[in-house]
Amino acid sequence: MDVLPDEQETLIQETAREFFAAESTPALVRAAEKDPSRYSAALWKKIADLGWLGISLPEDCGGQGLPLTYAGLLLEEAGRAIAPVPLHGTLVAALVLARHGSAAQRALLRQVVQGELILSFAVQGLQGAWSPAAEGLTGRAEGEYVVLNGSRTFVDGFRESGHCLVLYQAEGDGVAAALVDTTSAGMRGTDYVTTAKDSQARVDFDNVRVPKSALVGEPARGAAIARDLCDYAAALMTSQLAGATRRDMEFAVEYAGQREAFGQPIGAFQAIQHLCADMLIAVDGAELLVHEALWRLDQGLPASIEVSQAKAFAGDKCIFVARSAQQIHGGIGFMMEFDLQLWYRRIVAWSLRCGSVREHRQQVAAALLEQPGKVRLGMPLVPA
Amino acid sequence: MDFTFSEEEEALRDEVQAFIKDNFTEEVLADLTTGKRGRGFGPKAAPIFRKIAERGWNAIVWPKAYGGQGGSRITQFLVEEEFYRAAQVVIGGGGTGTPAVLASGTEAQKQHYVPAAIRREIIFCQGYSEPHCGTDLAGVRCRATRTGEGDDIHYVVNGQKIYTTNAQVATHIFLLVRTDPESRRHAGLSILLVPMDTPGITVRPLLTVQNEPGGPAGTTYGEERTNEVFFDNVKVPASCLLGEEGDGWAVSQRGLNLDRVGAWRYLISVKRDEDIVNWLKSGDERAAPLKDDAAVRDKVAELWIEGQVCRLMTMRSMTIEQRGQAFNYEGAAEKVWAPEHGVRTTEAIGQMLGPHAQLLNGSPDNVQDGLYAHNLLSAFQSTVNHGSVQVMRDQIARKGLGLPKPRK
Repeated sequence: MDVLPDEQETLIQETAREFFAAESTPALVRAAEKDPSRYSAALWKKIADLGWLGISLPEDCGGQGLPLTYAGLLLEEAGRAIAPVPLHGTLVAALVLARHGSAAQRALLRQVVQGELILSFAVQGLQGAWSPAAEGLTGRAEGEYVVLNGSRTFVDGFRESGHCLVLYQAEGDGVAAALVDTTSAGMRGTDYVTTAKDSQARVDFDNVRVPKSALVGEPARGAAIARDLCDYAAALMTSQLAGATRRDMEFAVEYAGQREAFGQPIGAFQAIQHLCADMLIAVDGAELLVHEALWRLDQGLPASIEVSQAKAFAGDKCIFVARSAQQIHGGIGFMMEFDLQLWYRRIVAWSLRCGSVREHRQQVAAALLEQPGKVRLGMPLVPA
Repeated sequence: MDFTFSEEEEALRDEVQAFIKDNFTEEVLADLTTGKRGRGFGPKAAPIFRKIAERGWNAIVWPKAYGGQGGSRITQFLVEEEFYRAAQVVIGGGGTGTPAVLASGTEAQKQHYVPAAIRREIIFCQGYSEPHCGTDLAGVRCRATRTGEGDDIHYVVNGQKIYTTNAQVATHIFLLVRTDPESRRHAGLSILLVPMDTPGITVRPLLTVQNEPGGPAGTTYGEERTNEVFFDNVKVPASCLLGEEGDGWAVSQRGLNLDRVGAWRYLISVKRDEDIVNWLKSGDERAAPLKDDAAVRDKVAELWIEGQVCRLMTMRSMTIEQRGQAFNYEGAAEKVWAPEHGVRTTEAIGQMLGPHAQLLNGSPDNVQDGLYAHNLLSAFQSTVNHGSVQVMRDQIARKGLGLPKPRK
């Protein structure tokens, strides 16, 4: 039991923090918001050159083979600098392919690691429900093809991705996954306009013919693949969210130490100090929860409940922190030319992605109340 | 990062659980709940605690040279957790006295106090709060005047302490006094380790809102457990001084950090989360409709997740201790989060149960022997004792975040 990053983890964390602070400046973030692609290709290239896109991918896929906690720390640091890159979607899809993909699909990961292939993933239907049940998109077998019809929503980085890892309901076979070429005929992306001004899209499938070679894993493994995809996605989104939120809190603390009112820095007033203390506790809590979830995922232990715990807590508390940071800044925090809003808008968006507080709490409640036997905190719960 | 206990630790857990099963009989548990001397000192329970001490389970983390095991803080935590869960008793590691002796004592003091504390022959109570100052300990007025010559150098103590938990059973008081009458605030304070049977000490019990008889273990208690302690020209040998004279603030702080973290601090809060979940699925006819209520389910999950944060913050403190690193704000953060969680969960459970939540043990129609009603009387104690959550937040803001002190 040692729940803080060790020396090597701290080294990666610090290295990534310095890199993103230097390379992902607010100016770059602002420029990416205005760019049609919504991301910085130059920054993406630099991240790839450092080998970080393969940080937690197996070495036989060109990765560094480091535990998933490292990918989490990288996402925290990217989130801290609100880096405008499709890191989350690419890493999530790549992790699933590394674990469940065919040899050809795993071979694609070398291109991913080089920064030559961006990936996205698609889970949610028109209702926006975060669930591995894959509602809203169906696949019908036709000879050597599966024909997809329906919609996927909140697909991050769809426009720039070459392939999209799609969950769908296979006729008679339950949930299944396919790695779909995003240029396939009948597939149409429509950009959302989000608070984060990022690149999420709705993707409509109109008789999209996917070769069977693009299916991921055996049909019987569909539910497990969907579960992994949802767990990786929600956990790493929590990492990104926690990283951004810690920086947002630090802005507020720095400002409170400088801004004077009533003859002293506002940070000397207990009303501000105690708010800042609660903000720190909230961010620490989110981080501890997601570190445990990622560690369990990495160890191959059941982790869906730990992931839901982390995302539910972060979804609730990170908005509290970001809103409080705005409060502490007062009027200046509203100004578009002041950088704080860049973080606020993303924290809002990210706290709503990969499952809402309500949805993740439902998972936790079901595990608590629907499984027989007494519960004990600290002993794993089994999903209902 | 590593979020599991080792195989050796899990094996020890099994051993401890088997010991508990064999020894903590219904009779012993009843003794712990109702025994006049409380907290594991009753006639049926006392022999069990001697057995625990023989196994060294209450001194895993303490150095071998003084009768401990020289083991890890994490292992100590795991063992403490099992005992707290089984019987709501704190078996060791916690408390201020002995850790402070280890941190600041002379060799002779360590030899004198630590092995005897492990055998429970020495039990410290903590003489900090006074009627006019509790959380702001730098305002301590209790006076100790150094006097005498040669072999008879001693202190004469005059003053009063209040909210002195377990003074009625303690053999010694870990006493924060002002040795320099001209000093102000943190300077001029010292720590004395004073035998409670010294002439001139009077202990007077205080009746509190928590003195509600019949409470299930870990909630309220029947007899008084906290006290006023009066010192009237109490003569204390100079050998009872812990650390340097005038350095009492630093000596007391070294003890406090260890006191604010630990198994019981987190378990006292999260046990309520487990209790309500287990009751909701117990089959009790009042629980059945609540279990399927969407608002109840959302709230229970929220509380459970907060409980996990309590656990992880405790593990973080253990990690810092285990690594031999210094605490910054982490102990204070744990001391805010876990007690406030305990209050939130207790009050939320009250609203789930509705009017039944006010029914104490002995009342008709109560739920689980009035567990939740007794909790409502006891939950807010931990947001106050051992440093209020407000002062903890001051520490987090100033030490953890570097925010400035207010200008006068």
